[in-house]
Amino acid sequence: MATVNPILDNTYDDAGERSPLILGGLDYAGVTDEVCGIWEADKPPKIWFVVLGAAISLLMVLGGCVGHLLMDGVGVWGNNNPAYWGWPIVNFVFWVGIGHAGTLISAILFLFRQNWRTSINRAAEAMTIFAVVCAGLFPGVHIGRVWVFYWLFPIPTEHLAMWPNFRSPLLWDVFAVSTYATVSILFWYMGMVPDIATFRDRCTSKIGKFVYGLLSLGWTGSARAWHRYEIAYTILAALATPLVLSVHTIVSFDFAVSQVPGWHTTIFPPYFVAGAIFSGFAMVVTLLVPVRKLYGLENLITIRHLENMNKIIMATGMMVGTAYGIEFFIAWYSGVPYESYAFYNRAFGNYWWAYWIMVSCNVLIPQVFWIKWCRTTPWFMVIICVFVNIGMWFERFVITITSLCRDFVPSSWAYFHPTWVDIMMLIGSFGLFFTLFTLFCRYLPVIAMAEVKGVMPRPKDH
Amino acid sequence: MAEENKNSNTDENSKLIGLVAQFDDPESLVQACDQARQAGYTKTDAFSPFPVHGIDPALGIKRTILPFIVLGIAVGAVFIGLGMQWYTNGGSLGEFSTDESPVFPGYRFKISGKPYFSLPANIPVTFEVIVLSSAFATFFGMWFLNKLPMLSNPLHRISRFKRATNDKFFLMIEQADEQFDRGSTEAQLNEWGAVSIDECRRDLTDNNLPSWLRLFALMGAILLLLPPVAIFRAMGMTSRAPRLHVVPDMDWQDKSKTQTVSPIMMNDRYLFADERVMRAPVDGSVARGQLDADTELYQGIKSDYVPTVSLTTPQGSVRTGLGTQDEAETAPPAEDVSMYVTEFPKEITVDEALVKRGQVRFNIYCAACHGYAANGDGLVNQRAVALAATGKAQWTSAKSLHDATVSNAEKNPLGRIFETISNGRGTMGPYGAQIPTADRWAIVAYVKALQETGIKPVVAVSDDESGEGSEANDTDEPATTQEDKTQPTP
Ligand code: HEC
Repeated sequence: MATVNPILDNTYDDAGERSPLILGGLDYAGVTDEVCGIWEADKPPKIWFVVLGAAISLLMVLGGCVGHLLMDGVGVWGNNNPAYWGWPIVNFVFWVGIGHAGTLISAILFLFRQNWRTSINRAAEAMTIFAVVCAGLFPGVHIGRVWVFYWLFPIPTEHLAMWPNFRSPLLWDVFAVSTYATVSILFWYMGMVPDIATFRDRCTSKIGKFVYGLLSLGWTGSARAWHRYEIAYTILAALATPLVLSVHTIVSFDFAVSQVPGWHTTIFPPYFVAGAIFSGFAMVVTLLVPVRKLYGLENLITIRHLENMNKIIMATGMMVGTAYGIEFFIAWYSGVPYESYAFYNRAFGNYWWAYWIMVSCNVLIPQVFWIKWCRTTPWFMVIICVFVNIGMWFERFVITITSLCRDFVPSSWAYFHPTWVDIMMLIGSFGLFFTLFTLFCRYLPVIAMAEVKGVMPRPKDH
Repeated sequence: MAEENKNSNTDENSKLIGLVAQFDDPESLVQACDQARQAGYTKTDAFSPFPVHGIDPALGIKRTILPFIVLGIAVGAVFIGLGMQWYTNGGSLGEFSTDESPVFPGYRFKISGKPYFSLPANIPVTFEVIVLSSAFATFFGMWFLNKLPMLSNPLHRISRFKRATNDKFFLMIEQADEQFDRGSTEAQLNEWGAVSIDECRRDLTDNNLPSWLRLFALMGAILLLLPPVAIFRAMGMTSRAPRLHVVPDMDWQDKSKTQTVSPIMMNDRYLFADERVMRAPVDGSVARGQLDADTELYQGIKSDYVPTVSLTTPQGSVRTGLGTQDEAETAPPAEDVSMYVTEFPKEITVDEALVKRGQVRFNIYCAACHGYAANGDGLVNQRAVALAATGKAQWTSAKSLHDATVSNAEKNPLGRIFETISNGRGTMGPYGAQIPTADRWAIVAYVKALQETGIKPVVAVSDDESGEGSEANDTDEPATTQEDKTQPTP
């Protein structure tokens, strides 16, 4: 295992020297040992079982709710006139937003040659995929007859004799989210192949040898393969970058293309994308702080990594805050009474509480990251990040519910009430997410070993 | 330094593939690669746990064509993405629109009068299609060019090589290289700083699949094809049995069907004495819009009329438009025409607006059979007559409403025309259910106006100038040419 390095603080900024990305004086084998140690351990730490157990119980709750929904129909949700888009779309946008950080870290930071991404990208990508799975669940089951879900896609069928409407943002969403899920999985898996090959070569159990052998596709680390691999990785990153921006843009079109006051605004795409990155990074921090503690990965996921992410959280949080302000300005400046009312109603109407939860969690609370102690103290930043995600859930709630409950026709105004199924499905979706994530931590390389080694200082430099 | 099999490249058990030299750090690997290339070796490969900088020129690796493959696919995807949307949403090209295509026609969504195909609305999906196909091209193209997956590789038999994915660096010179010589190559590798050298040998003893396995695999593949073939065959055939529903979504609903026994029980007895599911309205209740006590307005029958014989029509008998000639003939023989009103009811004001309204309604409901000029040459009638001539159908010609039997105010007072429209007559079906009362009177007014124009029954025009004679109209063959010319404007 790693030797302990006296200097654990790599958050200082010295213009004359790059602060190290990896601590503890780890060499190549040290990195391998540290990462593989998680998976080679005979038994995972007790807390792993506790988390997995809790997550699986919540997953079962989710399963029960979905079963109930499928048997009895979408009426078990609280969606009803006038709020036909209730919690399901709130949850969908919430999870899709979280699912943006992974690809952002792997693709955009890769293109910008931000080497610090290597320690966190694998876990962030995994998080992305699991979040997209959770996101996909909600629109997936809301279609009522899920067994004909394939009608969403342009599949030639004689008996339906119909095609999807390609001018609907909801259909764009189908394409965007499924493309995003597919590309994220390809990207994640491709990045993982060399590391799975490491697992294969260290594995002692027969099943492990077989499974990892299959998954690593016979990777040998050949220079000719690496050459094509690196180019392919760059191309995928270049593809994923506009993709990640397009996905949340299109999600925001679900709202912006309609005419409901409070939705029909051009600021939605950039504002949604900033919010997505904001919540995604908050989720990465929330997950990685316990993971690095639990598995002793402090040398790889250093405080500097966490600090960088907190800076991004603060920056995107302020972008979101600006967007909130601009929305109000435009509502006033446009002079459209419906628009002005929609925003007045958001802040001071019957959902004022949701609005102010959102503003405090998203705009005010992250401001503490101006203080260095706050952004370098793991337990503290987790608390802040949990608040951020609460705030981001409320952002989607505020957008969806307040606008729908006060639409053009006052006679249809109402107050939205979620049912127990709504609530349990939101909680249950966390079960799905954490089940997948805990399993990932145990059975797949949590840190991109090959990439970390690639950015490590060469042994001869020392 | 290789331990065994020093002398032979191939024995009956294994074949030499190449020599694998280990290095401890990336720099020595790059140097060794450089030297190997300069020594003239071309069939070489290096192995490292991560991509080593500078190894590509050192080994003389040519740049991959992968980006061009991806570009090609991406450009193709632009057309596929746009084409898919254009086709499926009923786009058109000149005269041709895809919703008329014979197989898998496009489907046109009419939304706020927007065009069926417009670039801005189709950009997002096109973009996603491009990204998705390029990503697939990158991913699969990369593995394909790398000749992976390759699940059996003699390299993995070298125990030292396991560290190629951990912390060691390897250079392999293949036996297939022209320069390769077992002894001297090994010496060169040592000279370039190899820490250790292994032989990579392919095991010749167990790399063949048992022959029966191929046969089984082939048979299995063929068997797997059977279910889809059966499904496609069933889908392409007609059948009298109802379609098989895998998920019987809406076939069974928690409701009672009409004309069945009511399931509602109370104390072991049916709640409703008549046991029916369908409930009759409470006695004396009148459904909205069905208060028709005023017989003049609603039935065209004089309010002071007292039936002398039992009145089977209009309320009593149910007629169908499909009746045969014989049935029509057996209509009530003695009809008391005096019961019908001869004036319009007082609620109806006869003015130009009413006649205009009548024209519109007539053209909608009646012209199909009776023709726009009401001389019996409507398209339905023509077609039905033609069919009847071949014996494929039975049809009584729709009468010309200029026929004396119809236009004669004595024989056919206003109320009777109204009654004809409401309840049908002979083989003509009833239209009371479709046309509101006021509109029926409007039609009556229009029919009367038409009759006033003195348009001659079709056949009479060609036959007999003066004839309003009924013989002319008895023929079942109305002329087909008059329709447009004779369409009147009241
Ligand atoms: C489906 C074709 C069809 C339509 C539509 C139709 N009719 Fe007729 N109509 C007939 C036929 C056939 C007869 C001849 C019935 C017979 O003699 O048995 C007839 C006969 C008549 C007669 C003569 C009845 C008599 O006294 O012998 C009148 C008047 C008449 N139709 C008016 C109308 C009016 C007004 C409408 C529009 C509300 C109309 N019809 C719509 C087929 C049609």
